[in-house]
Order: sequence, then structure tokens, then C-alpha cells
Amino acid sequence: MRTYQTEVLVIGGGATGTGVAYDLAQRGFKTILVEKRDLTHGTTGRYHGLLHSGGRYVVKDPKAATECIEENRILRRIMPHCLEDTGGFFVTTPWDDPDFGDRFMEACQATGVPCEEISVAQMLREEPLLNPKISRCFRVPDAAADSFLATQCVAEAARQYGAEVLIYHEVIRVIREGDRVIGVVCHDLVKDEEVSILADMVVNASGAWAGKIAHMVGLEVSVMPGKGVMVAANHRVVNTVVNRCKMPSDGDIIVPVHTVAVIGTTDQRVADPEHFAIERWEIDLMLEEGDKLVPGFRQMRMLRAWAGVRPLYQETKVADTRDVTRAYTLLDHETRDGVMGFITITGGKWTTFRQMAQVTADRVCEKLGVERPCRTHEEPLPALFESDRHTANGYHYLGARLTDIESHKSYGDLVCECELATRAVVEQAIRDGNAHTLDDIRRDVRLGMGPCQGGFCTYRVTGLLHLWRQTPVTESNVALRDFLQERWKGLKPVLWGAQLKQERLDEFIYLSVLNADHLPGEKASRLGPVMYEEEVNNE
Amino acid sequence: MNDVLVIGAGLSGLVAAWQAVENGRSVRVVAKGWGITHWHAGCIDVLGYYPLDNPEPVVALETAVSRLATEHPQHPYALIRLDNLQTAIEAFKALCATANYPLHGSLTRNWLLPSALGTFRPTCLAPATMIAGDLTDNTPMLIVGFSRWLDFAPALVADNLTHQGIQATHVTLDLPSLRQRKIVTALTIANLMETPAFRAELVNALKPYLSKAGRIGFPAVLGYTQATAVHQTLQKELGRPVFEIPTLPPSIPGMRLHHILLHTIRQKGGMVLEGLEATAATTQNGRITGLYTSAATRHRLHHAHHFILATGGILGGGITTNYTGEITETIFNLPLSTPVNRQSWFRRDFLDPQGHPIYQTGVRVNQQLQPLNENGQPIYENLQAIGTILANWEPIRERSLEGVALATGFIAGRGKTVTSHKTQTTSTSN
Repeated sequence: MRTYQTEVLVIGGGATGTGVAYDLAQRGFKTILVEKRDLTHGTTGRYHGLLHSGGRYVVKDPKAATECIEENRILRRIMPHCLEDTGGFFVTTPWDDPDFGDRFMEACQATGVPCEEISVAQMLREEPLLNPKISRCFRVPDAAADSFLATQCVAEAARQYGAEVLIYHEVIRVIREGDRVIGVVCHDLVKDEEVSILADMVVNASGAWAGKIAHMVGLEVSVMPGKGVMVAANHRVVNTVVNRCKMPSDGDIIVPVHTVAVIGTTDQRVADPEHFAIERWEIDLMLEEGDKLVPGFRQMRMLRAWAGVRPLYQETKVADTRDVTRAYTLLDHETRDGVMGFITITGGKWTTFRQMAQVTADRVCEKLGVERPCRTHEEPLPALFESDRHTANGYHYLGARLTDIESHKSYGDLVCECELATRAVVEQAIRDGNAHTLDDIRRDVRLGMGPCQGGFCTYRVTGLLHLWRQTPVTESNVALRDFLQERWKGLKPVLWGAQLKQERLDEFIYLSVLNADHLPGEKASRLGPVMYEEEVNNE
Repeated sequence: MNDVLVIGAGLSGLVAAWQAVENGRSVRVVAKGWGITHWHAGCIDVLGYYPLDNPEPVVALETAVSRLATEHPQHPYALIRLDNLQTAIEAFKALCATANYPLHGSLTRNWLLPSALGTFRPTCLAPATMIAGDLTDNTPMLIVGFSRWLDFAPALVADNLTHQGIQATHVTLDLPSLRQRKIVTALTIANLMETPAFRAELVNALKPYLSKAGRIGFPAVLGYTQATAVHQTLQKELGRPVFEIPTLPPSIPGMRLHHILLHTIRQKGGMVLEGLEATAATTQNGRITGLYTSAATRHRLHHAHHFILATGGILGGGITTNYTGEITETIFNLPLSTPVNRQSWFRRDFLDPQGHPIYQTGVRVNQQLQPLNENGQPIYENLQAIGTILANWEPIRERSLEGVALATGFIAGRGKTVTSHKTQTTSTSN
């Protein structure tokens, strides 16, 4: 069995785990991170992409609101190229309590979230598609975040400080020696072999999966996976993050992210972070709520739906997951359970990942008896791609990729026309990103995320992957089939109208023209997508 | 007033218009845009897989089509007679041969030709430019690609063919003529292929790789309107059989067929109007009397004796769906046979061999291709529906799209069945 020895092992390649690994590596610890799939595969890659101003929580969860605005300011400083400075609105629609606006303003002041009321006329000048029946509008410093890119940048920074990031390494056992956790055994999904990693300290940063990992140690950690469904519309219907000015509820936000606009979200408690359905009522609700903010939203073309699971930690059981605090939790299992060498960080939200990493790394220092200060709030994160260098006041902006293509005159080198992913960035993702699946490349370069959902680029990128990896052709074949299935997974819940037509074209290309359903080799691999559960048909 | 108004200019619509002009009928085609010809492999697939869960391709085509027609009495092939399919295929071959772009094949047996993934594509009729790729022959191949163009991946083709027992190597050529261009498309290369200078550049670049290759496979970009000449010249200059492999759309071989049909229809006096979207119809006493189209500038009403609906299914745009689960035929609001609710539209896997139930949606017709109401009676005496708007088949899983489009377009365009049937309909309704 392959064996590693390290000082700190971090479990989980989401925003939190990657942040912890970076922080620890920066403080000089020998660090290994393991992730069972690709980075951001869990909750980080499946949220709506909001950098919270804190506005969402000012009334209901002031502690979370303050954390958000503090981190908002820091992230704008250290990773502006991963953020789009869209700004945010909180708007009172005819369906919302008209008095909530005043409470909202007061709570913003109390928590330190900057907030300014603007006229509805001004709001409509900036966002002409918003419902003209909106009665009040408050401006807050929300922004749109690219959680894929941000996590890649943090991981790259961690690597630069010497950390090792092992993707497709799934923890299958935790090694315990008496009252001490001394390491884990992973299944390397790519090589299909077991790997043991011994560490002085193991950090469980597996988010919604934290309960499962703790269970392997024999500990009870109650993390409620709160499922949230999101739908991406084919257009950037707004250029500003738009929130409903009311208590948090389903379908209360539209976030413009890159070329699309994402509406979210529902909140359903699920038993298992891995197995759940996207239900029709959830999609219908998103369309209905979207229509209240942007009249006509329902009739627009939807590209895709997905669901993520929020890691909501609570020691006592609460029925409605919305009432669980959004603030994070650090569990020291030595004081809590008498088990040494093991701590859990869970809860929280993407916006506060850096702070969560900081307190976790502080605790690791304490446990290992060293004093090394955190510097992650000071040091800017690296840019990974050439186009990340095209910015608006340091921030990412929608035209960045086009500017890059125009400045390099690389019009003919597009692998994905929808998302303007060039051959150069795809090849960089294959080589440097050590991509195993087409979905890994998608997360790195946003391939196949536009209107045709991989109709054209799937073939092209399979060709490039095959060329660069030099693996047996059956591996390229299954990579193609896995990706077709992965795109299908998110299309299925929103297939009607123009998108159904598009999908039929994709079928025509991959079956009639390319005969991909008769490729030699496996039909699906263990690196392929985990499908949503089929909804029970009640009609 | 025209004898025939065809709505839609995909394969079935153009075949109907061609047959109509051939049979002395005056024709107008109105179409929002072009159809499947710009996407498909440029072959006539009649039936590639049957039954659908059988992963082995159909070889004995005629037997398989007969069996399908018997086992699936609602399938379009069950509604039209096999001899009609046969006649349509022969007539289409004759048309293409006259246009100096011969198609080869017959209902006796399917070809097995390489796809751009190196899989074995079963098809009935293939252009002469493709048939040297025959995979029942194991002559070693060299697969050629172009470095500036990602719509054809020669390594994938060659490695998959080799994996399946056909010895194949590959080369990607970095030709100066392509390197100097900012944008290289299938059409760029197809047009360049018609110039002797580019062909010389290509042949020279290929020389070092030829020794072991018994035949040479290119992406299907060997000329557009001069394909036969380009193909023959390359075979001569390279001294071995040369064949084309269909690529990602747009499809050059499909566009060649489109060009032949369009040219023939226009030459024989038919009118094809692109950019006119049919929106609604006027009817009187169980007949269609007129069809409205809209374009950027104005609405227009077209009159004709007969109307042929060839707007395509969900892919073509003849059938639309919305988020509430409604499924609609866009022009005449014809009744559709559909799966019951939105949850049963799809199966779990994208590549499920049975296909997704939603795509079986379509217009039910009788043997004369007249759309039927819920009671099985023709709705309009002078309306026929052809091609992928028809119900109860899975053209993509079966690889039967072009076969059905060709046969139903042929029958409707020829019009004889309708004429002879008209008296029948009258007598039954009396």
C-alpha cells in the first residue's frame, strides 16, 4: 500500500478544506489534502455563486451577517479576479412585507453591513427587467463569486507553499490508535488502490459529509444536509445580485454568474448528502419566484438545474433547516469526545471559508504546540489563467475572456463557443490541472456550461484529452460518455422548449453522427456522475 | 395558386418538393431555415439498430425493416409499403448520380462505415466519397486530421478502429494554408480542397506517412460542390482509395445533398423561400385553404391545393414544449400522441438504448400520411405530414431518420396515393 506521512491531513476539497490546507501550508506545516472526487465537487461547486454582503442574515442571524461583511472585504482584497463586483439589491416586491425594509435597514446598521436605499426609478435604470411593482430597493455590497476558480487558486497557493492535493482519494477508514486518530486509509479512485496517510493531526473539513467522517472515528457529529436547488437561466437577466427583502426563504435570490443568471434556492433536509432528488415542485417554485423579481422569467430558457447540500451543524435537533445558524462550528474532539489528533470544521458558508480556515489552523497550531500567525487575509492569491489578468479594477468582468481572445486573435481556437474556452486553456487544464474527467476540465475552464451544454465541445475536448493523456482509447471513450451523462444529469429537470430542442440536437450529434452509444469499453466509470434520485411519479 | 405548398426545408420537405416538381406539380416551399441536412452524416440511414436493445447493427436491412413494420404497426415504416421505400431510394440514387455525386448501397445490406469517434456506423446509402471506409474490409487505414480544426480527432478515430480490429494509424497535418487563417471551419477546408494548390500542399505533406496505409480516411471536407472530382483526384494523386468520415456539424456531405435537392427543385420551376416562418393556417370545410408566414418585414398568406407539413419534430421545431408540460404542433395545432406528464418524458440515462419517451411525440397519420384526429379520421383532406413530425418512432436510436424522411417525402411529393385515395376518403365519409 502506498503510504504518506504528513503533519496535517485535511479531509475535503471544498472551499473550507482547501482554505485550511492553504492556511496550514502557509504557516509552514507539511500538509496533505484529500478529496474524494475533484476539488469543489461537493457543496462548493454547487451553490449559486454569491459573495454575501451579509444582508441576507442581518435580521435573522446577526452573527453570520457580521462574519460575512468582514470576509467580504477580505476576499475582495485577496482574490478580486475570482469575483465580479456586481453589487446587490434587496427589493420589496408586492408579495413581501412592506415593513420589513425598515427592520432590514436598522439591522444592517447594527451589524455593520453597508446599505443605502435607492429609488425604484434608479433601480429600474440599472436593472430594467426587474418588476416595476417593486416598492423599495436597498443597495448592499454583494458580489458574484466563481467558486470553482477561487478554490483552484487557493489550492494552487497551497501547492506553492508545499501542500500536496490528492483528488479522487476517498477516505474509507480512519486509523485510530487508542484515543488518538493517527491517519486515514483512502481509496484512490483513479488507480483503484488503497493509500494510507499518517498524520499528527487530521482535520475533518468535509462539510455536509463531516458526520460520515466522524462516524468512521466512532464519533457522533450531527450535520444536517440541507438541500438547495438552483436553476440557471440562459441569459444574464440581471447584472446585479437581486435579493428579496424579507426573511430568508425559497427562491429569494438571482445571482448573475458569468454568462448566466442563477436563481436559488430551496432548503430541504435530506438524510444523505449524496442521494437526493431534484423535485418538480422545486423547479416550479424557482420559476414562480423568479417571475416575481423578473416578470417573464418563467418563459425564459433554462439551461440547467442542480442541487447542493448545505452543511448545517446543530447539537440539538431542529425541524426546519432554515432555523439552523449559518455561522460555522469548530469541534475539538479532544475536549468534546476525548479523542486526540482530530478536529472537525463544518457549517458556515462559502463567503466565510477563509475565516473558518483561519480558526481551524489556529486550533491546529495550539494542538501541535506552535505559534504561527495567520497571513491568508494579507496575501493575494495567484491568477491561474491568462484571461484572469483582464480585469475591471482588479475584479473579473464578463468581457474578460473575449478581451483575451481579441488580444491574442485566437478566434479560431475555441473549444467551447458558449463559454469562450480556448484550446490553450483547455490544454492547460488537462496538463497542469491533471484532469481525469471532462468534468474536471469543465470546473477549471467552464467548458460545456453554456446553452448547448457540451453539444460541440464534448467531442473536441475528448479529442484533446486523448491526445495529451496518451491513455488507452477506452478511457477516453468512457470520459466522453461520463460527461454526456453528467451534463444530462442537470439538464433533465429543466428540459422543455428551446433547451429540449437543443438537447435533441446533442442526441442527434452523439448518436446519429458519432455513434457514441456504441463506443467500445465501459459504459460508465467510477469517476462518472452520481445521478440525482428519480423523483417518485405521483401524477 | 400552387398545387403544393411544402412547409419546411429539411430532408423530407425538400424530397417532397423535388418529387412534386418531377411529377409536374407546381410547388412552393416555405421554411424558417434549413433542416437536418446541415447536421447529419450525409448518408441515408434507413435502419441501423433493431430491436433497440440489440447493440449489434442491422446487416440484412430489408428483413429488419419488414420485421419492424410487423412488430410496430404504428411506426412510419409500417404505414408506408416497403416498395415505396425501395422506389424512393432508387429515385434518390438516380438524382444524385445525375448530379455527379453518386450514392452507393441498397436495402440488401447496411454499410458499416467509420464515425468521427471510430465507431462502426451502419447506413444504407453512402456517397462514393465514403465507401472506401467499408469496415467489413480490413485494409489498414491512415486517418488524417488538420491541426487548426478540432471538429475531427484523427487519433480517436484510429485508436478506436484499431481497438476493434481495423488497423489504423493517424496523422495531424499542420498545413501552412490553414495555419495562416484565424478561423478554420469545415467549409473553409472544403472550399480549399477544390483548389489544385491546396490539394498539392496536402498530398506533399502526406507523402511521408503513406507507406503502410492501404487507404486514407479524411474528415468529410473533400470539396463542396466539386466533391466527386476532388475525391477522384486525391485517390489518383495518393495512389490508394480515399474516403471521408462525417464530422461534427455543420455537415459538408449533408450540405451537398441539400444543394442537389435545392438546385433540382429550382431548376424545374419550384420555388423555395427560406426565412419565412409558418405561423397559422386558414381552413374551410375540412380543407386547408391558406397558410400564413411571418418574416422580418411582413406577414403573408399563401394559397395552395395541397399542403405538406414537414416542419420536423422537437428538433426541427414543428413541435414545441413548455415548462407546464404542454406539447404543441406549432401551425395547425394538430393532436399529438404524447407521454402523459413531464415526469415520464425521460429515462435515467442520456444514452438509454430505448430513447426518451418525449421524442415519440408526434402527429399520427394514416397510410396516406394524413394527420388523424382522436377517432382515427383524417382532419384535413388536403394535408399530409412527413418526416420527423410523425409519431411513434425513435429516429435517432434506430438510425432511421433519413429513411423515413426520404420515403414519406417521396410519397407525399409524388401525390399519386393522395389522388387515388381522395375518392376513397369521400366514399368512407359518406
